[in-house]
Amino acid sequence: MTDISKLDLKGFCANSTRSVFHTMLSMAVSAAEADPSMELSGSKVVGCVSFTGDVIGNICVHVSKEFGRVMAAAMMGMEVDEIEDDEINDVIGEVSNMVGGDMKSKLCDAGFPCVLSIPNVTSGRDFKIESKGWMRHEKIAFQHQEELSMVEVFIKFIA
Amino acid sequence: MTLKVLAVDDSKTIRKIVSKAFSAYDCEVVEAENGIEGLSMISNVKPDLIILDITMPVMNGVEMLGKLKGQPDMKDIPVIMLTAESGKDNVMQIVKMGVRDYMVKPFKGEHLIERVMKIVALQPKEAPAPLPSPYFFVVDDIQMLSLPGKSDRATLMEIEVDFNKSLKIMSTAGLNKMILDASHLKELNMLVIKLILSVVESCQKYRIHLRFVGSSALGTELKGFQETSSFSINDSVGEAKKTF
Repeated sequence: MTDISKLDLKGFCANSTRSVFHTMLSMAVSAAEADPSMELSGSKVVGCVSFTGDVIGNICVHVSKEFGRVMAAAMMGMEVDEIEDDEINDVIGEVSNMVGGDMKSKLCDAGFPCVLSIPNVTSGRDFKIESKGWMRHEKIAFQHQEELSMVEVFIKFIA
Repeated sequence: MTLKVLAVDDSKTIRKIVSKAFSAYDCEVVEAENGIEGLSMISNVKPDLIILDITMPVMNGVEMLGKLKGQPDMKDIPVIMLTAESGKDNVMQIVKMGVRDYMVKPFKGEHLIERVMKIVALQPKEAPAPLPSPYFFVVDDIQMLSLPGKSDRATLMEIEVDFNKSLKIMSTAGLNKMILDASHLKELNMLVIKLILSVVESCQKYRIHLRFVGSSALGTELKGFQETSSFSINDSVGEAKKTF
């Protein structure tokens, strides 16, 4: 079993997020180091999945509502102005499921068996996800043109 | 014979991607949101192939697969699993349960079709016969509607009838882009406006991306209607094509 503190969580997240954007949305995103205090302001959508087993944790994908709309249009092959709010939520939920699923697989392969939850999506304005007591907490910023998004990972070893 | 495909996924987006992937083939795709709904649809639909997600609420894909394999009349239906988890244990589990193949998300529709073709034969859809109308024709993957210079009532009624036929042809051919070329119009009367509004309404209903080509006078006129107030007018067909 690998030492949990040595797992390259940022690398796992960066690769899987780039792959999801490239394959499902035909969009290029570049990963960047995020300030620990980074938050998206204004109207936003956050998709989260949890994993539970020898490790527990969450992966949350944060995007602005408007970028969520662009992502939904790209993934569904529609025009941006045709996209309804429930379609944005569905797409962000699915993106968090794919990024989280990849992370879960990496954890299982590293000797930390766990199961993945279905995604849950929160949308609104000026809210913040706070979670405490984790052994690892990483934030990775992603940029597509002028749009900044963020993937956040919380993880704790249980067994 | 039309192939029946059952797509079981809680995500509307993924179901849409799966349906779109099969749209060029002689297939009927039916959708279910979870394992329970999927199982109940199998007896009615009798699918030739099932595309099954794993992580779903109510009943997940692994449970549904287990129940499917326990039913003598269902166990031989080929199943391709879609999973966001590529871990060895996960893959071993679903392979042992008798799936024919699996795809790890993220995936592209064309890659899914490649996998499907190894299991069942897919026949491309027959190209629909073009409308015998001088006003309707397809360029690349775009349905063109070219309004004539002079539009009397009989001509416009004929165009409206042909437009309704063209919607069916577009749906069969998987076309979702249309350019309404009004650049030859010499007179913009209420009958023409009525036809244009009817085209706009149908395109919105059937989620067809519509672009306009015409004069600035047409643009000004269309700004006055709620249904068309947000449309931009392009100077040429080439310019309109670039906006897709």
